[in-house]
Amino acid sequence: MTTGTAIGALKRARSGVGNAGPGRSANNSKRRFSHSRIFFLFLLPSLILVILLNLYPVIYAGIQSLSNGDLLSAGEFVGLANYIAVLQSPEFWHAAIFTVVFTIVGVFGSWIVGISLALLLRTRIPANGVFKVLLLLPWVVPIVVSAMSWNWLVATPQSPLPMLAQALGFGNVLFLANPFLAQITVCVFKVWISFPFMMMMMASALTSVDVNVYEASKVDGATAVQTFTRITLPMIARTTYISWILMTIFCVNDFPSIFLLTGGGPVNSTQTLVVLAYTTVFQNFQTGPGVAIAFMMTIVLVIISTLLYRQIRKVNIE
Amino acid sequence: MASFTGSSFSRRGFIGLAGAAAATAALAACSTGGGSSGGSSAAIKFWNMPWGGTAFNPLDEQITKAYVPASGLGAATYQEVQWANFTQTFSSAVASNTGPAVSSGGGTQAFQFAQQGKIAYADNLLSSWKSNGIYDDFFDGLVDTLKTPDGYAAVPYNLDVRVSWYNKALLDEAGVQPPTDWNSYHSVCAALKKNGVYGFGLGSGAGNFTGSHILAAFMINNGGGLFDENQKPACNTPENVEAMEFVLDLVKSGFSDPAAATYTSANVQAQWAAKTFGFGWDGAGLAASVTGDVVKDMVVGDPLKSNSGKTGGLYLPNNIMMYKNTPNQANSEAFLTYYYQNMKQLWTKNTGIGLPPLKSIAATPEFQADSNNVKIVKEWQPIFKTWAAPGGTGLFYNIANTVDGTAPMTTFAQSILLGNTTATDALNTLQSSITGLMK
Repeated sequence: MTTGTAIGALKRARSGVGNAGPGRSANNSKRRFSHSRIFFLFLLPSLILVILLNLYPVIYAGIQSLSNGDLLSAGEFVGLANYIAVLQSPEFWHAAIFTVVFTIVGVFGSWIVGISLALLLRTRIPANGVFKVLLLLPWVVPIVVSAMSWNWLVATPQSPLPMLAQALGFGNVLFLANPFLAQITVCVFKVWISFPFMMMMMASALTSVDVNVYEASKVDGATAVQTFTRITLPMIARTTYISWILMTIFCVNDFPSIFLLTGGGPVNSTQTLVVLAYTTVFQNFQTGPGVAIAFMMTIVLVIISTLLYRQIRKVNIE
Repeated sequence: MASFTGSSFSRRGFIGLAGAAAATAALAACSTGGGSSGGSSAAIKFWNMPWGGTAFNPLDEQITKAYVPASGLGAATYQEVQWANFTQTFSSAVASNTGPAVSSGGGTQAFQFAQQGKIAYADNLLSSWKSNGIYDDFFDGLVDTLKTPDGYAAVPYNLDVRVSWYNKALLDEAGVQPPTDWNSYHSVCAALKKNGVYGFGLGSGAGNFTGSHILAAFMINNGGGLFDENQKPACNTPENVEAMEFVLDLVKSGFSDPAAATYTSANVQAQWAAKTFGFGWDGAGLAASVTGDVVKDMVVGDPLKSNSGKTGGLYLPNNIMMYKNTPNQANSEAFLTYYYQNMKQLWTKNTGIGLPPLKSIAATPEFQADSNNVKIVKEWQPIFKTWAAPGGTGLFYNIANTVDGTAPMTTFAQSILLGNTTATDALNTLQSSITGLMK
């Protein structure tokens, strides 16, 4: 068989056509059409549900962002006025910058802690299982409880951490009342509640790395750092990228952490875009601009996710 | 929080909760249009908030369900609505015509729904109450705080007030008498500071709007306030500047807890319990919320005379409203008449609800047994004003979306309590923020 004949045969095989020709093509296509119809009918209820629950709200929200209506009425179409007003607001840009900082610290901070603990838990340490459960607690405990606990830890001068800071000679440290320290506090809080998720993701990824590779690297004389950077990280890259995508989405959309701990204050210093969107709609009753903020957040998230997915594809190809 | 101007914005709805919004719209589209003021005998839906402790709603439900309607009219059903996301709860229910016929809710909620044409004005109800004595039983001027050009948006229910509190033992320890004016208040704060106690105790942290209320109360105390007679924002007035300069002086003198800007209500109560606050500002229920041996020493202070010799304070008249979406408007009114004639127990059984709107309840022996409440009614109630001060007395639509629990007010309070601004700058920022939110 020549190369050309082989390729032709392969194409025919892929399209379900044998050497003898298409055969009973009319009957087949009829059957396929009938099957498709049945499949479609089965799919229809779910499709309607998905459209009702997902597509319609997005379209409705899109309309809201372009109008001056409210939950009770559609309002009038105002074009891009809401988007323009939001983009011209210094408050929006301040919130956007802090959202970026919060997300970067949240993603990479929790990843560094998570992967460190995942590597540590791979070693044989006593009561490994107990540690695993304890380390999962920040993720498992409801965020309201966590936020209240942290408030107790840092809010007043009599709280444990300010007392400790005072005892160590740092003076009266205002973890929440000082705008800069409040930003650090909410970022650390985010890392604290998120690292167990990263730890689980990394732990599961590490189990998939073949131990023979490590043994081979040992034979080749690789150092611990080389093993980590040249073997472990590349081999868990896919899971790492996925966890980064997920954590980015979690951080950008994280409303309760900040709202419960600082409410976005003091003087808006810890306000992220999602908190700004909430206060714009539900405290200031400005629906259009609030929805516009949320839409812009969504667009940015889609772009970031797409970029990271491309990275995953690259990893798969390599 | 800045306001986003550039077009005529509306309110309510949120993409983050787009599902809720869409569901609302879908429900609205599917609904039959709800009730009417016709003559259905369906039950009256009464939704009430957790205004007190755990005993409040069960007793309230009991009162509601004991309503015996006139022949042909429906009974009353009861639903407790939590404060968490109550705006969304009411908005989506009202939009979808599945909401209550009668409800309480946020203090300015009635004005928002009135603007949407969803409220059944209480003029007829109040007229009928003139003949059965309920109308005259309200504290003077209270009913008119809910009057709009189109009618009474609601009827007063319980009063959320902002008053001064002090720890008697800590004042005794400092060797000072309770203050009566701003000057003596300054001296009391200075004396308390010597003992490591704060004299300007309050909070303005996450979910705590009391701080902004107190600052507005100081403006009203000095004859100022946030709105002029045309219901337009008027923040940067000489009265307000003087009041905020006085407050900034308290803050900069170290009389205020440096972390107060971010204190939640729980943090504030903890500071009272820890005896770190010796004098401060809060609601009428503060003593009931504070734990420990400090409770017995908690006393409501006297209204203070400002430097210009004026007195005044802020109160938030919570209210009950009726909706057009009712099975029967006559039944909504009949139920409310019954409720007001029987709600006394909510106060006499100490359920923790705010101050009563009716003089007859304030006169009960149970209420009179609490000297702090008696003092508030006797000395503070006559000088209270609403957010509409100094221009007017009645609440109005724009209060809800500009000053009542809004982000610009919290930001304003936090900037003052951090002490790194001037009165004029802070008031100018507030003026521009709330002007942008006006509709």
